[in-house]
Amino acid sequence: MIEIKNLQKFFQIKAKFSNHKTVHAVRNVNLAIPSGGALCLIGESGCGKTTIGRMLCGMENPSSGSIIIDGQDISKLKRGARAKLLQKVQLIHQDPYQALNPTHTIEQMMKATLKKMAKQKKKDADWIRQRMDELLKLVGLDPETILFKYPHMLSGGQRQRVIIARALTVEPEMLIADEVVSMIDVSLRLGILKLLRYLRERHNISILFITHDIASARYLGNDTELYVVYKGMVIERGRTERVIRSPQHPYTQALLSAMPILKGIEKPGKDRFVITSQFRQSEEEPRGCLFADRCPFKQSICDEKRPELVHKDDAYHACFFPKVRQVAAESI
Amino acid sequence: MSDTSTVNTESAFKDQKQKMAISARNINVVYATPTGDIPAVRDVDIDLPKGSITGIIGESGSGKSTLIMAIMNAVTKPGKITSGSVILNGENDILQLSSEKQRKIRGKEIGFVFQAAQNSLNPLRRIGQQILDLGRAHEVNDLRELIKYAKRLLIRLGLDADRVLASYQHELSGGMRQRVGIMFSLVLNANIVFLDESTTALDMLSQASVLEIIRELQKEKNLTIAFVSHDIGVIADLSERIEIFYAGEIVEEGKTSEVLASPKHPYTKGLIKAIPKISGDIDAAEPLKGSSPDYRTFKQKGCLFYDRCPIRTNSCQDSRPELNITNRDHKVACFRVGANDRD
Repeated sequence: MIEIKNLQKFFQIKAKFSNHKTVHAVRNVNLAIPSGGALCLIGESGCGKTTIGRMLCGMENPSSGSIIIDGQDISKLKRGARAKLLQKVQLIHQDPYQALNPTHTIEQMMKATLKKMAKQKKKDADWIRQRMDELLKLVGLDPETILFKYPHMLSGGQRQRVIIARALTVEPEMLIADEVVSMIDVSLRLGILKLLRYLRERHNISILFITHDIASARYLGNDTELYVVYKGMVIERGRTERVIRSPQHPYTQALLSAMPILKGIEKPGKDRFVITSQFRQSEEEPRGCLFADRCPFKQSICDEKRPELVHKDDAYHACFFPKVRQVAAESI
Repeated sequence: MSDTSTVNTESAFKDQKQKMAISARNINVVYATPTGDIPAVRDVDIDLPKGSITGIIGESGSGKSTLIMAIMNAVTKPGKITSGSVILNGENDILQLSSEKQRKIRGKEIGFVFQAAQNSLNPLRRIGQQILDLGRAHEVNDLRELIKYAKRLLIRLGLDADRVLASYQHELSGGMRQRVGIMFSLVLNANIVFLDESTTALDMLSQASVLEIIRELQKEKNLTIAFVSHDIGVIADLSERIEIFYAGEIVEEGKTSEVLASPKHPYTKGLIKAIPKISGDIDAAEPLKGSSPDYRTFKQKGCLFYDRCPIRTNSCQDSRPELNITNRDHKVACFRVGANDRD
């Protein structure tokens, strides 16, 4: 069980010739992922979804709030104990081309971490060999043909599988998959998503899936909750299918409208709209709703007060004028 | 009697030709390597009808960008065009023109937006200066008017024109650079525009707005657009016609809605199944088997899709299927059209 309570993160940006600026990257985020569960975070780049992931695996310290892994608050632990606890949470990066050392073969890379595990568990070299084969087979690679290779000899999909195998060497309870398929060819994406789904279903590894593509979130977290994040704030959450079919917040609707329509198979939702203004980090903290500057449905109160995340019929949204709009494509 | 009929067919042929902005025939491109030539594009015929959007889909390494480069006669070493013709507007063969004439065609007739827009902009010059460079290279007399037109285009693209013209490329975001690339391809009034993976690096929302702009400009200026991508979703959304490219060959082509609604080639079927969709049964999504084609694939005598094909038979290994018509202009290259996947 992993829990996040009232998590906040501020970044100080040093500016020359003027005052320092503060960017509020994560605002009061609460979430919980049971073991073997999953959760999807959706939002565009710069919305803070990656920062949440980085804080969860200890690469960034929260400005306030707490991260609780198996009942223990990681900020209250001593260094050694904290490192041991954080081993249970492994991060998989977006870019498989930069996450592997180009001068190491896959065998060297896998062995480096497995040796440490063997020492902890007091196992011998045979165990390392066995475990290496087992893990590579688990992620759908053939150990014989892959162990002697260097990263440049592999395709993007294969690299991402190697990275997942490497993350599994420390026997994690949770994987943070941060845009894991965005750099991979569309035809190979589903293979990686299927692997993550398999790890969750068969090996009880929980997954935090961070993406901007709602369709892949739908594939991976069909039975779980979807969180839509904008400028560090959760603006809508609910069961994945429910958020897609009856979104209430205009931002969620804009994201769903932006999905390309497959001509001949799908027809656009009847309320579909396109937002052309671009994401901009505002100079000053706005008083009102964070999405007000881009929202096509905003009214005067939206600039004055900020809506909170409120609970309404088994879903949450942060909007003064929630209205269900049919924007997602439907099959013909 | 026979004379008139030949004249008729000839004029019909000419009409047909004039409807095509680009009509490429029998294109072959090879890459020279120390171990021999590797074919990247093989016997490809492709037509781009005037005022239409054609989408070309292929995996990375399938040769789709090479094909576009070949159409512009811009294949660089070690690549080499070994045969073919590319007729522009029913008149000139681009592959036969002098390099000076080709240079003038590129930009004025044909615009091009590269995959990585940041690599196609000069990092040391402001955007405005680069527009002036382009104008001078193409002997535009009224440079002031050119800048004005560039500004109008940038505003259309939803950008702050004055700021963009005074910026260096590193001062712009990915989506802005991609829009600047589109402006460059249109500023000399090109009628034909090639877009190579133009939305791949973009976020969902900026992708949607770039697609919307492309659609609007296409209608307004009656542009002929060829859009190359690996993302079947983007192509399905934007294009009227679709070309499915696999390992250097076209395996299926036709009207987008028809190809997507009733795909005939096992690769197309697999591709459509392999994308998670927002509608329908999500658990029906199934990944494509096997790995992307590589340099060994080309050595096969038979069908190039053989090792990944769910409906193959032994005879598929012996010869290569040709592109045949199944229904009006819906063409497919497969011996086993209509065979059931479950067999």
